[in-house]
Amino acid sequence: MFELSTQGQEFVKKELQRYETVESAIIPSLYQVQKENDGWVSEEAIGYLSDFMGIPAARINEVFHFYTMFNKKPVGKYHVQVCCNVACAMAGTREMTKTFLDEYGVKEGEVTEDGRFTFTKVECLGACDKAPMMQINEDYHENLTPESARQLLKELK
Amino acid sequence: MEVKLLSEHYGDDNFKTLEGYKVKGGYEVLPKALKMKPEEIIAEVKASGLRGRGGAGFPTGVKWGFLPNNGETRYLLCNADEGEPCTFKDRMMMEKAPHQLIEGMIISAFAINSPKSYIYIRGEYTYAAKVVEKAIKEAYDAGYLGKNILGSGFDHDMDIYRGAGAYICGEETGMISSLEGKKGQPKLKPPFPAVQGYLKKPTIVNNVETLAAVKYIIRDGADSYKKHGTEKSAGTKLFSVAGDVNKPGNYEVPLGYPLLDLINNECGGIKEGRALKAAIPGGTSAPIITAEEIEKATLDYECLAEMGTMLGSGSIVVMDDTRCMVDMMKVISHFYHHESCGQCTPCREGTGWLHKLVSSVIDGTASVSDIDLLCEVANKMKGRTICALSDAAALPVLGIVPKFREEFEFFIKEGYSKVKGRANA
Amino acid sequence: MLKCTINGKEVEVNEGTSIIEAFKSLDEDIAHYCWHPGLSVAGVCRLCMVEIEGNPRLQIACNTLVTDGMVISNQSEMVKDAVKWGLDFHLINHPLDCPICDQAGECGLQDQYMKFGQYDSEMGQQKVKKKKVVDLGDKIVLDSERCILCSRCVRFTEEVSKTNELGIFNRGDHSEIGTYAGKPLNNDYAVNTVDICPVGALTSKDFRFRQRVWFLKDKPSVCTGCSTGCSVDVYFNQEGLWRVKPRYSEVNGYWMCDEGRKIYKSTNVMNTEFVGVRGEKKAVKVQNRLTQAIHRKDNEVDYFLTSKALENLREDLKSVDKAALVLTGQYTNEEYEALLSYWKSQFKGENVFHWTNHEENWNDFDGLLIRGDKNPNTKGLQSSLEKHGISVEKDFSKLTQLTHVFVAGPENQWVYDDINTKVDIFAKAQKVIWFSAGLVPVSEDLIGNFLFIPTKTFAEKSGTFVNFEGKEQSFEMVESFVSQALSLTEIVSVLQGDSLTWHKPEQVERVHNEFVHERGTM
Repeated sequence: MFELSTQGQEFVKKELQRYETVESAIIPSLYQVQKENDGWVSEEAIGYLSDFMGIPAARINEVFHFYTMFNKKPVGKYHVQVCCNVACAMAGTREMTKTFLDEYGVKEGEVTEDGRFTFTKVECLGACDKAPMMQINEDYHENLTPESARQLLKELK
Repeated sequence: MEVKLLSEHYGDDNFKTLEGYKVKGGYEVLPKALKMKPEEIIAEVKASGLRGRGGAGFPTGVKWGFLPNNGETRYLLCNADEGEPCTFKDRMMMEKAPHQLIEGMIISAFAINSPKSYIYIRGEYTYAAKVVEKAIKEAYDAGYLGKNILGSGFDHDMDIYRGAGAYICGEETGMISSLEGKKGQPKLKPPFPAVQGYLKKPTIVNNVETLAAVKYIIRDGADSYKKHGTEKSAGTKLFSVAGDVNKPGNYEVPLGYPLLDLINNECGGIKEGRALKAAIPGGTSAPIITAEEIEKATLDYECLAEMGTMLGSGSIVVMDDTRCMVDMMKVISHFYHHESCGQCTPCREGTGWLHKLVSSVIDGTASVSDIDLLCEVANKMKGRTICALSDAAALPVLGIVPKFREEFEFFIKEGYSKVKGRANA
Repeated sequence: MLKCTINGKEVEVNEGTSIIEAFKSLDEDIAHYCWHPGLSVAGVCRLCMVEIEGNPRLQIACNTLVTDGMVISNQSEMVKDAVKWGLDFHLINHPLDCPICDQAGECGLQDQYMKFGQYDSEMGQQKVKKKKVVDLGDKIVLDSERCILCSRCVRFTEEVSKTNELGIFNRGDHSEIGTYAGKPLNNDYAVNTVDICPVGALTSKDFRFRQRVWFLKDKPSVCTGCSTGCSVDVYFNQEGLWRVKPRYSEVNGYWMCDEGRKIYKSTNVMNTEFVGVRGEKKAVKVQNRLTQAIHRKDNEVDYFLTSKALENLREDLKSVDKAALVLTGQYTNEEYEALLSYWKSQFKGENVFHWTNHEENWNDFDGLLIRGDKNPNTKGLQSSLEKHGISVEKDFSKLTQLTHVFVAGPENQWVYDDINTKVDIFAKAQKVIWFSAGLVPVSEDLIGNFLFIPTKTFAEKSGTFVNFEGKEQSFEMVESFVSQALSLTEIVSVLQGDSLTWHKPEQVERVHNEFVHERGTM
């Protein structure tokens, strides 16, 4: 049974008051759930939020599925999101992602056996002047080379 | 030559704090503005010729003028959902000069008599959101936000709202839907947001750069602002340059600045001395222009429109002669397929169709007639939907495919890229 | 009033009328899927494109209001091209499984294709695959591949039923309709989503795979499910009725409740019921109608032609001067008038009983359409009684002292859950003359003298109901299914020695729908 921490519940209650409509609290609350649920949001958690917030589950589920930053299935400890839009693709990120996947023996979106990584190709993250780049959890890593990127991943335990 | 209004203090790391901002004259324009009449500010903004910097280029003062005088609460929304591929000007401003945006917003809110504003920040921009949130708190503590700002009697509250990963929320009504806690799907127009926007209340949505520019227009006056740029494209503009140039980055130049100069001077020319092949001048939604066209292109709304493309958000992707246009097309069409909100049929189905057609060229399953079909599908997606995403998906096709048709034909006939060669197939 | 010109025809419309409404008022064809007059405007299918003089861009008719002097057309090449492509975009990921799709024959896509399409598909790529058989509970099955994402059903559960079960999840061409965690779509109005679904994405479990719609005809009628009296269309063929759908009226708007949809079953001679056989649900044909007169004394049963049974009864009644009449609110004004006039002259209007069902709930109302009085014509019965100065008795213990009991029993027996108890009470009389459309549940060992006379259901007769608010609603006969069944009016005629005349129902065309007025030709 998913349940938010006391702190999380307080956060959601505050968000419900913060905006002009309660529905505006859906996105912040989903972020909170994701934070407390190892980086992803389960179907069960949507039902929990629906009861907690008093908003129909279908409405929350619509919002949940619309935005790509909410993960629909478990992710690794480090969610490696490699930008593969124009500038980064030109800088070789698609090939770089392929080497990651090969090296760690996973497909895109899967969790590595040790639970450390999930690799996802994402659209432009707005750091094109520093291509190639990727985002690991919340942090941007820019001006990568295949070597520096590999090294970076190795250092993440 | 760069003309730095907005980006003058980007190099100063302290500028993002209230203290550092005030050292450089921060919040000195606000008291002046609060002593003006709101209609004077609107008139000044109108006179400045400022046009929306988010992509559509609609005159800001005119937009403000659409607000009805019906006594309803008005909202000001700052569009910081910078999602147009290869655009990173707003992120940089939020990270480096948040108070400049906040000051511009308070002035704008005062001008349109709005008690509440939101900065809708792209979900991925976690760091920028933190910086802006901190700056808002500083502004509240210093009395620039809240009740009776600087004794003027004007009350204004400001908050941020974080998106969660959807390009479409950069479309103003998509953003409003998202802020209302729904899927970020654009709304039917009419009614336009100025009449019925956020929560069906009169709402003005302006881009980060637009709102920050308001501060400088009030500081220096419309005439001074208009000295930069061309007659119809006034002022300076931030351009995000990426791709095959030696020094990619944000550059602030007056509108009307020659594109080739920006590439060769500010950006230090093409990487490794290779030849310029093409550039996308206004984010991936803008049709591509060839090297030949780049020579004649100036960075203003009119010149680029005449060339059949657009200034858009001001992001420029420069491509050298090693770039395969079929490959570029695939990356771009993947993006729109991924980002279509799914509401209007031509876009929902068309973006996927375009992506599949382009992919089939690379997979070797396409025939030459599919090139025409690709253009035809793109043509039929144009102007048929609630918002401009469908057009944004179609326009790159209608730019790249006709201009580099032989690369597509070659790929289909030979099974490998004309540019990359058989070895890289 | 605003004047505008639509495809060359001048028309006057009220201020605030949308272009699509103006087209509809003129019966002009206009392609559309997502617009529905009972729902908010979504503007997403992008098919209702029109050209407005002076505007270079095509506009959607559903979200554009008519202005004075507007000249509108959807006949130009530009519009036709937009509609053709609009349809193409709808079809590229559609599975085109028409042969196994229940919507075939009344499908918006098929109709639009016949009207505007007839071309080869240009989509050579792989279609997006989605879930095909999603069980949404007892009433509805979802095929999300067929769904064109018009959002009508989602808007219905948001705006009308306010139950919010449905949503469109994901985005782009992976958008899919569904419920959260596969929860059932079981609200009291859920089947309306099937009606408004322009394609075969939402189908009704009660109707799917039972009939091809092109074998059905439809006729307007009034729902007998409760005192609201929703306007409905009844779908039928020579075998019987197959379904009931709401028809727009001021009484019910565009909707009806799911309970009301059951009323078609009261008319059919045989109904398919799903019964559990060793853990599996099996479809079984069950006889529903009384198809001839039956005289059942204790456990001896004789069958008669209705006319013969009534002639015998007429003779029999000559020696009876004290009898009781039991009435239910399930017959028409005309029948009450005939029966009560007869009763007045024959039995002085005495001993009339009103068999009510859950009178304590009669004032219940769910805020939308469903009312607690499950009789279509309680009001009509009451005013007919009043007109004849007859006061009713509700204490059924007084019945047993009388020799003959006439019962005008319920047509929708399932809303009379005391029917078995009543049978037992009536059985104590010397003779029970029971007018009934359906078979009356009498247990085999019951001691009693029953004469069952088959009556017509709402679909087999014309007449008038008075709904909860006193609104008189007349309806026409749909078709005759049980040749031996008579209306109460006809029964009274025979009892009075008159002969009957046969009314042939008006012939109707096969099923039509909202999308196109005329069918394409092959």
